[in-house]
Amino acid sequence: MAALRVSDLYKRFGALDVLRGISLSAQERDVIAIMGASGSGKSTLLRCINLLDIPDAGEVQVAGELIHMTFDRRGQRGPADRRQVDRIRTRLGMVFQRFNLWSHLTVLQNIIEAPIHVLGVPRRQAIAHAEHLLHKVGLDDKRDTYPAHLSGGQEQRAAIARALAMEPEVMLFDEPTSALDPELVGEVLKVIDALAEEGRTMLIVTHEIGFARAVSSRTVFLHEGTIVEEGPSRQVLDHPRSDRLKRFLSNSPGGGRATSHLLGGDDLR
Amino acid sequence: MDLAIVWESLPRLLEGTVLTLEITGLSLLAGFCLAVPVAMARLSPRRMLRVPAYGYMLYFRGTPLLVQLFLVYYGSGQFQPFLDQVGVWFLFREAYFCAVLTLTLNTAAYTAEILRGAMLAVPRGEVEAARSLGMSGLLLYRRIILPKAFRLSLPAYTNEAVFLLQATSLVSIITLLDLTGVARIIVAQSFEPYKLYVTAGLIYLVITYTFVLVSRRLERRLSAHLRGQPAGGIGNVVGR
Ligand SMILES: Nc1ncnc2c1ncn2[C@@H]1O[C@H](COP(=O)(O)OP(=O)(O)O)[C@@H](O)[C@H]1O
Ligand SMILES: [Mg+2]
Repeated sequence: MAALRVSDLYKRFGALDVLRGISLSAQERDVIAIMGASGSGKSTLLRCINLLDIPDAGEVQVAGELIHMTFDRRGQRGPADRRQVDRIRTRLGMVFQRFNLWSHLTVLQNIIEAPIHVLGVPRRQAIAHAEHLLHKVGLDDKRDTYPAHLSGGQEQRAAIARALAMEPEVMLFDEPTSALDPELVGEVLKVIDALAEEGRTMLIVTHEIGFARAVSSRTVFLHEGTIVEEGPSRQVLDHPRSDRLKRFLSNSPGGGRATSHLLGGDDLR
Repeated sequence: MDLAIVWESLPRLLEGTVLTLEITGLSLLAGFCLAVPVAMARLSPRRMLRVPAYGYMLYFRGTPLLVQLFLVYYGSGQFQPFLDQVGVWFLFREAYFCAVLTLTLNTAAYTAEILRGAMLAVPRGEVEAARSLGMSGLLLYRRIILPKAFRLSLPAYTNEAVFLLQATSLVSIITLLDLTGVARIIVAQSFEPYKLYVTAGLIYLVITYTFVLVSRRLERRLSAHLRGQPAGGIGNVVGR
C-alpha cells in the first residue's frame, strides 16, 4: 500500500490551469524530488495534498485512507468531513519555504504546541520528544529562543522539528532552502538528508539538483501543471529525455552539481 | 486664587471618580468579551454569523453614543411589558445598568473592528502552518490567531479604552453621579465652573495617562519576542 497516492489532480485559479491531471504515489521510505520551473505548480501540488488548496478534481489517499470530498450547494468542491482533513493533516508534515514558525512562541513552544493541543500528548512527554528532536536538528541551545532571534537556517530546522513532532507518515517540503542565504543551505539539506537515511517518506520540492540526485530515489519534473518526466533520480537528472527538462537542467548552474558537496559526504551524515 | 472650593469638593469628586472607573472597567471587560465572538463572527465564512455581526457593528459605530444611551434608557420604557415578562425590567429601570449596557455594546462594536483588523493581520503563513498541523476552528483561534491578534491590537485598543473612559462622562446626562455628574452638581451649587471642571479634567487626564503607561508596559512585555534582534529593523518599530 502506498504511503501517499495522488490521482488525477486538477486545480485552476481563475483562468489559470495550475495542475492538469497529476498522478503520483510514494511508497513507504520513498524520497521523491519534485522539480520544475517557477510557476509550474509545485507548491500548489503539495498544498492540494494536505488540502491547504482544494483540488477541483482528483483524489488524495494517505496510507490507503481516501480524503472524502463533496460539493456544497453552490457547487464548490470541499472536504466532506473537516475532522478527517484535520486528522490526515496530522499525518502529513509540511515544511514551508518561509518557515512559518509562530513568532510569539519560543522554539520549544512551537514544537510542542500541536502535539499537546491537537494530539493530546501529555505536556511532559511532548517536551521530552521536542528536546530529542531539537538535538536531532542541532538546535539544543535554541530551545527557549524566539524565532526572530534565529538565522534562517535555524528557523527552518526548527520548523522541520515542529513538523516531525507530530510523527507524520509523510513529510512534504516546499522549497525548504529557497529562502536561505547560500551559506545556510547546507545545514538544512543535511538535516533532510538524515531524515532520508532514517527511511522517512518524503516529497521534496527543490531546485537543488545535486541534492535531489544524492538524496531522492525518484524525481518528478513538472511543467505547466503536468508531469513531463519521472523516474529514478539518477536516470532522470543525468539522462533527461524531454527538451523541457534538458533546458531546465542546463539553466541551473553546473547542472546543480554545486549543491551535492553541501551535504559534506557520507562521513557527515 | 482661592482653591478652597476644590479642596472641599475633592472627596465628592473622588467618589464620582470611583463610579467613572467602575463603569469604564465593567464596560471594557464586558465589551472585550463580547467583541471577541463578534469579530470572529464578522470574519466567518457563514452568512448567518457574518451578517448580524456586520449589522451590529455598523449600527453601534455609525450612531452617536448619546443617542444609543437615550435609546436604551428612555426607549426601554416602551418595551416595559415585554421586559417585565422576561424578568429584566428591574435592570432597565436603573440608570447604572443602562449606562454599562450601552457603553458595553458601543465599545464592543469598536473593539470588534480593531480585533477584526488584527486577525486579518496575523501572518497567513503562520495560520497555514497551524492548519497543516491539524488545527482548525476554535482551537486555531484560541491557540494561534487570538493570541497574535491581541498583541497586534494593543495600541489601538488602548485608544479605545481611553475613548471609552472619556465617553463615560455622557452618563451624567442620565442622572448618574460619575466624575462629570458630581462636578456639574457642585458647579450648580457653587457657581465655580472654571475651577471644578479644570479639576475634573485633571483627574481624567491622570487616569488616561495611567492607562497609556500600563499599556506601554504591557506592549513591551508582549513584544519581548521581537526585541533585541541581532540584525533587523523590527525592534526599532516596536520600541518606538
Ligand atoms: N492562491 C492563488 N491564487 C491565484 N493564483 C495562484 C494561487 N496560488 C498559485 N497561483 C498561481 O499558480 C501558478 C503555480 O503556482 P505555484 O504552485 O506556487 O508554482 P511553483 O511552486 O511551481 O512556483 C502560478 O502562476 C501562481 O501565480
Ligand atoms: Mg512554490
